[in-house]
Amino acid sequence: MGYLGEIFVMAITAIFIQNFVLSRFLGLCPYLGVSKKIDSAFGMGMAVIFVMTLTSSITYLINRYLLTGMMYLQTIAFILTIAALVQFVEMVIQKKAPALYKSLGVYLPLITTNCAVLGVAILNTTALRQDGITPYNFLDSTLNGFFSGVGFTVVLLAMAGIRMRLELVNLPKSMKGMPIALILAGIMALAFYGFMGFKI
Amino acid sequence: MKLYLKLGFILLVVSVIATGILAYVNSITAPQIEALKQEEAIKSREELIPDSIFEEVEVSPDFSYFIARNKDTEEIQGYTFIASQKGYSNNVKTMAGVSPDFKLLGIKVVEQSETPGLGANCTASTFTDQFQGKISEDLMADKDGGKIKSLSGATITTRAIASSLKQAIQALEQDVVAKQEVQQ
Amino acid sequence: MKFFSELTKGIIKENPIFVIVLGMCPTLAVSTSVDNALGMGLAATFVLICSNMMISLIKGIVPAQIRIPIYVVVIAAFVSIIDMAMEAYLPDLHKALGIFIPLIVVNCIILGRAEAFASKNNVLNSMADGLGMGLGFTLSLTVVATIREILGNGTWLKMQVLPSTYDPMLVAILAPGAFITLGLLMAVMNIIKEKN
Repeated sequence: MGYLGEIFVMAITAIFIQNFVLSRFLGLCPYLGVSKKIDSAFGMGMAVIFVMTLTSSITYLINRYLLTGMMYLQTIAFILTIAALVQFVEMVIQKKAPALYKSLGVYLPLITTNCAVLGVAILNTTALRQDGITPYNFLDSTLNGFFSGVGFTVVLLAMAGIRMRLELVNLPKSMKGMPIALILAGIMALAFYGFMGFKI
Repeated sequence: MKLYLKLGFILLVVSVIATGILAYVNSITAPQIEALKQEEAIKSREELIPDSIFEEVEVSPDFSYFIARNKDTEEIQGYTFIASQKGYSNNVKTMAGVSPDFKLLGIKVVEQSETPGLGANCTASTFTDQFQGKISEDLMADKDGGKIKSLSGATITTRAIASSLKQAIQALEQDVVAKQEVQQ
Repeated sequence: MKFFSELTKGIIKENPIFVIVLGMCPTLAVSTSVDNALGMGLAATFVLICSNMMISLIKGIVPAQIRIPIYVVVIAAFVSIIDMAMEAYLPDLHKALGIFIPLIVVNCIILGRAEAFASKNNVLNSMADGLGMGLGFTLSLTVVATIREILGNGTWLKMQVLPSTYDPMLVAILAPGAFITLGLLMAVMNIIKEKN
């Protein structure tokens, strides 16, 4: 299995087998909070993919070259990186692509507290390739960030699609809103368990 | 511009203070954490092969083992080592003790982050006890034709533990035999 | 008097999980067993009290434009401290909670309270708010964990509570069980609220 195979396995793992939201429990706040409409879910998803990919590559470099021997600073360094990055991305998009900013702008500040972003940065530092020995390199980390973001977006969009239809359903009053969304998420997670133990 | 410099400066000062405090806490806790890890490793080794003194042998940067000699007679009681392989979510590290004829005396899963309720059950004694007395040929999940009963819903974890042990025992045997031949 | 009401509101009336719906990730991920839930809850409570206190202390000096990065640094520092302390003195719990300790940083409850409460109130009230919210968080976490551990493992705090002939409902410990348990609990909370 060449490097392309490795990437394929990584993509399938991040999107389906160990989905960030449904099996790792990361990024739940936006998953439940921004999944009421497909449009906003899509905007959030794109913003997350973008920030996660960038974060993964930058935190890899920080972890590899700046933090050697100072692992106890990892959390603080990563979260500052993410906060600064989000701010920076926001400023750049606002200036260079005002149209994009209009659709993504509101979601960007929310990403700082999206634990999926910090989660992928931390998980990348200990993640291993399929052979179980080689730690992730720069490209692996970046790709893993990208695919994890895609995995997040896929389930976010699916959730938004279901919830939009749910608006039309007659539910017991106590189940409306969050409770039914959580139970839906549970059923979705159950479905994703079908991918578990998939041998690629 | 001046405002941004000022803001940057304030943020820098805050970060520097935070870093200083963290460095201080780290200097207190780091030796404690290190000592705890050492202690745990020694304790696990002694659980596997009691009443022995251990001597480390490094085979390669990735693999080293301990020779256990009886405290009084200095006879070789067995060997211990740590085997590791990627399980379902990350590496599963297993410490194992083998007798001089390379039969497993016991294993202990020392590090794992498998799914709670499924793979994480690999630390339970109902699972680890079955490894006693197994030789490297037996070390395969029952689904693959070996003698290790898989954890329900966690074949991948079982496979990782069994095959990492198998490889480690083979590497150990090779090294021990080679060294015996040199001595003769 | 104010102190006391700030303390109690987080536990029931403004319970961070069931009412405000914040901090879902750790709630679902570490509620597989009651001891994990307690450990996580208390760690988060510690961070909440300290960060609320600190942020309330520095609220006058922090420029508004960079308040969020500064709050984040303060929170991250306390989280790192508790991370190291746990690894040194409670290694088993540290292993069980794993990645979710550093992730206390992004627990929305903490930044949320810093922004919504501590940056506007005095030190004492902020600490009371932190303690109350922390306890409310711990309490909800423990409730979810109790249901999941009993159904999924037949135990509570590692003690066997259901007869050993009980075949554990494994799904309760797995991810789907977490979502469904919390969903049903919230529905029950809604019914109680309606009745009142």
